[in-house]
Amino acid sequence: MQTIIAKLITNYPYVGAFILFGIGCFTIIVNSNLLKKLIGINIMESSIFLLFIAASNIHGGTAPILDPTNPEAVYINPVTTALMLTGIVVSLSVTALALALIIKLYRLYGSMDAHVIFMKRNEVQNSGSHNQQ
Amino acid sequence: MRNKNMTHRTILRRVFSVILLILSLYIIILGVIELPPYGAPDNPVHNYVAQRYIEDALEDTGVLNMVTAIIVDYRAYDTLIETTVLFTAIMAVMITLKKDPSKN
Repeated sequence: MQTIIAKLITNYPYVGAFILFGIGCFTIIVNSNLLKKLIGINIMESSIFLLFIAASNIHGGTAPILDPTNPEAVYINPVTTALMLTGIVVSLSVTALALALIIKLYRLYGSMDAHVIFMKRNEVQNSGSHNQQ
Repeated sequence: MRNKNMTHRTILRRVFSVILLILSLYIIILGVIELPPYGAPDNPVHNYVAQRYIEDALEDTGVLNMVTAIIVDYRAYDTLIETTVLFTAIMAVMITLKKDPSKN
């Protein structure tokens, strides 16, 4: 048990990343407000960025910018940073598209709540079938 | 309105999702224990790929910043086509938010 806790303390950035992931997942499941769901998705994305950036770290290392005056310098891994730059672009695109869809839904139904939108859709469908009869 | 919405079903759903999340986080934390120690220089992440970028980036590209060298030189096509992702997202946003001209 003590070794498990010691390992968790050594890996504290990973634990923090997965706790952030849990918070984002909880936000998505519990809230019916679409904007809050989007915030939850963004928290989950941030947790993945944190996981990757933490994995690239070396104790005592510097940022991966070559320093000609100090040839002995230890540089951290530049690959994960480059990957996460790509990930940030994707997350930005997803957020922009989701916001646009939420605005469209708000214009159509007058609400951002998923339950309210669902009820209004059902009402519209039921009244439509009545008119056909 | 807010209290009226907090029905029995909502509370039950909340409790159920908390239990589900704690269970899944427990499994994930079990995986974190098996991960290599944070910040150690001999982690599997720091393999020959990163080593090559760190050692040869200046000769190959002439850029001091290795992240810039990877993004704009080694993976230039990736970055170039990444702008397509942004372009598609902007196009989708503009199509979604366009007002219907037949309604006016």
